[in-house]
Amino acid sequence: MNALTLDTRSDLLPPRRALAAYLTETRFEFMRMLRNPTLVIPVVLVPLALYLLFAVVIAGEAIAKDASLGVYLFAAFAVMAVTMPALFGISASLALEREMGLMRLKRAQPAPPGSWLVAKIVCGVVFCVLAYLPMLAAAILAGTLPLDAGQIVLISLALIAGSIPFCALGLMIGALVKGSAAPGYANLIYLPGCYLSGMFFPLPASMHWQTPVWPQFHITQLAMYAADVTKHQHIPVQMAIAALVGFTVLFSAVAIWRLARKG
Amino acid sequence: MNTDSQRLHSLDAVRGFALLLGVAFHAALSFMPGWPPGIWAMNDNSPSQFLSDAGFVTHIFRMSLFFFIAGYFARLLYHKLGARGFWANRGLRIAVPLVAGWVVLFPIIGYVWTAGITKVFGGAPPAMPEMPKVPGAFPLTHLWFLYQLLTLYVAVTLLRAVFERMGDAPKQKLRALADAGISGALRLNIGVFTFGIPVAAALVSLPIWFYWQGIPTPDQSLIPQLPATVGFFTAFVIGWLVNRSSDALTILAKKWWVNLAFAVIATGWLLHVVHTTPMATPGTTRTVYAYVFGVAIWAWSLGLTGAALRFLSNYSAVRRYIADASYWIYLAHLPVVAAFQVWAGHWPLHWSVKYPFILVASFAVLFLSYHLLVRPSFIGQLLNGRKYPLRKPKQDPAAASVPISPLPHDKGNGSSVATLRGITKKYGTNVALSGVDIELRPGELLAVLGPNGAGKTTAISLWLGLTEPDAGEVTLLGGSPQQIDRRRGLGVMMQDVEMYKELKVRELVALASSYYTNPLPVEDTLHRSGITALADKPYGKLSGGQKRQAQFAVAICGRPRVLFLDEPTVGLDVQARELLWLNVRILLAEGCSIVLTTHYLEEAESLASRVAVLARGRVIASGSVDEMRALVARRQISCETSLDAGAVRQWSGVSETRRDGARLNIVATDAEAVVRRLLTEDSNLRRLEVREAGLAEAFTALTREAA
Repeated sequence: MNALTLDTRSDLLPPRRALAAYLTETRFEFMRMLRNPTLVIPVVLVPLALYLLFAVVIAGEAIAKDASLGVYLFAAFAVMAVTMPALFGISASLALEREMGLMRLKRAQPAPPGSWLVAKIVCGVVFCVLAYLPMLAAAILAGTLPLDAGQIVLISLALIAGSIPFCALGLMIGALVKGSAAPGYANLIYLPGCYLSGMFFPLPASMHWQTPVWPQFHITQLAMYAADVTKHQHIPVQMAIAALVGFTVLFSAVAIWRLARKG
Repeated sequence: MNTDSQRLHSLDAVRGFALLLGVAFHAALSFMPGWPPGIWAMNDNSPSQFLSDAGFVTHIFRMSLFFFIAGYFARLLYHKLGARGFWANRGLRIAVPLVAGWVVLFPIIGYVWTAGITKVFGGAPPAMPEMPKVPGAFPLTHLWFLYQLLTLYVAVTLLRAVFERMGDAPKQKLRALADAGISGALRLNIGVFTFGIPVAAALVSLPIWFYWQGIPTPDQSLIPQLPATVGFFTAFVIGWLVNRSSDALTILAKKWWVNLAFAVIATGWLLHVVHTTPMATPGTTRTVYAYVFGVAIWAWSLGLTGAALRFLSNYSAVRRYIADASYWIYLAHLPVVAAFQVWAGHWPLHWSVKYPFILVASFAVLFLSYHLLVRPSFIGQLLNGRKYPLRKPKQDPAAASVPISPLPHDKGNGSSVATLRGITKKYGTNVALSGVDIELRPGELLAVLGPNGAGKTTAISLWLGLTEPDAGEVTLLGGSPQQIDRRRGLGVMMQDVEMYKELKVRELVALASSYYTNPLPVEDTLHRSGITALADKPYGKLSGGQKRQAQFAVAICGRPRVLFLDEPTVGLDVQARELLWLNVRILLAEGCSIVLTTHYLEEAESLASRVAVLARGRVIASGSVDEMRALVARRQISCETSLDAGAVRQWSGVSETRRDGARLNIVATDAEAVVRRLLTEDSNLRRLEVREAGLAEAFTALTREAA
């Protein structure tokens, strides 16, 4: 706005250095995650155990008769696997960092405004891949995922891309609430969505109007298109993609806005 | 004055935008998939779902937005010209274009429509439907908005007349209520969710309603139609009240993205419903839809207005020209757009080629006609209140007559690195800083002293861009600390900050270095800070003092021009503290400017070029260390005497006394007189000492006086 007369050029970060700042931030975020393995285990194990229980042990026979049920259940638990680390991992770590005053320091320092955001989202997605692969392996070994190789690649890509809005949701929660409250609020938003989105069981028609509100609905829809299960496709695929992009933009915007003011 | 005119620039831009959006909307109507032939002048052979969706979205809000801005300007004009002048003006600008425009345009529109429909039906068009035989039926065409505007002016004039007849007390009450209501509704985001309720109720009451059509266009009748009148009247009145309010526009400018975010969410859902169930049968969905539609109208209208206030507040000759042109363009566009649609309708080309063609061609014709026929002629005079000669003189009268926003000028002259000017900052009711002026000059170390809660950390936060003042101006390196490029010149060591405990010290320094343009090599930073030995330890395993050292390394890694040290030596052992002091002196010698807050007065005394003392959010003293001592001009007298401390305290020239066993300590403003009197009154007085007061005494005395 003001002070155009002063030479600010010398303080501009050249593109190469800006890129380096983003990479450095991401690299160290990843190293922190690797050095803190206790967080990884429950997030990987819980969806896997639930999947084995419900899809393999309980519904195994039904899946043998109706292939679309197998995909439906796989998608449901895989969505859980890819969204939980994104949401809970990021919201808790960001809330803690805010409590430590780190976000204030980063802002003053001055970290490029998007670098921590990109770092957290990239690491969140990597974390999701780590949680997803064991479940995929289990489903293929147990024969409860009746899809061909191409479809498996597509559904995997859809699910992993679908974790991004949840990374953003994690950022938003982490930016809005303080340390220990973050997992509580994350659950408050996440759990109702798992049921009301029709992710775990099909909903009666009278409840369909509210499903688009939940990000879980759109990522499940994306998976249904990837696996070509027409029975469970309720909205056009473009709309599911648009909604997921919209959620990502909205959640990240709230997070950035909040952190720009409160740190 | 300037801010007012800046606001008008933005609102002018919004009005122009709403009108030009209407042109784009109508240009899309020949591409609507599934529309039966005859509804529009042309049914293109390459329909587009995308244009249908885009058209739907713009149609949600464009007219409401227009009437909202119209309400704003109406009040402005009403108060400028009075009721009579207002109507004279509106008669010329609105009623005359309505009548004259209709007379000229209706036959042309009819001709283009006939040609188009003949083409659509392959040369054998069915008979044109008769106008319905109901009272008031009249083909207003797209000029209906002028008619609607006139009815709103009538309504608001009547309301004003009623209001004027009220007593003064209820008038004041109503005014206060309206102002508080509008600013509260905008500030708390209630407006987005409530302003649309009246129009939603009117829409739900319709016997037949297609979701896509939104507020049914009242272009077939002179009798005001319910949903349009309710919806546009609400918009108009809210625009009027926003003009009344002192802070509504400021709030809108702040909340632009919140409102746009609501708009995107609501619109996404509406699109979903339009795709799944186009026909609105009465029921829950229809009611919810109508409500969300109202939310979308207001979220878009408030959001776009806010964004314009935020981003388009400066004067731009191009925007001004377009805004001036938009009225004529909207009036004249329909036959032009329809003619291009009819012409291009059967071309064997994709809509993504034809639609841009129609748009570009129409705008070319319309802008050209504006520039040549309207702007320099009586039509321009009529529509926009003035005409511009076609060949412009050297100085553009448009630019000359319009107040140009002041050029941004740099108030930070070269002599200060960072300043706080007239700063007031409150947290709730707690005043952290009040009217504070502090300046940091190049190459100096400014020590900011003060008791806990004096506002030191708030002052630092302002300089770091972490918080913004309620009043006053903060500069850092000649600009605002909100600009990241300015902050690249600073280094900072904050209080109460923990760093990533999993990362090693070297990694923390490397991470911080990556933020700066030209940082020190990591090893140099570690070496200078004396923590090479700690480099491979995780931060979480360091002692308190070691953590402060690591933070200091992080603060200096970017070769800062300004360094902010907030209580840097708390928890350091003597050796580490001396190393830090040494580093600070080296940085000063290299030309770095430093702000230091500290509780350790000897630290300030040994390092500072200048001192500013804060107490209760005010600067109570500032100057060099010597000046500070002189300012308080106190000396410390100490002796063994039997005189009563309380009695001595009453002497003139004594500011305080303290008994310490046999010794009496006196702080005196006139030491010579006090010593003379002491010797006179107590002949047994022993071990007399007189010395200059240190910064500690000065500080204590000053802050006590402030309290």
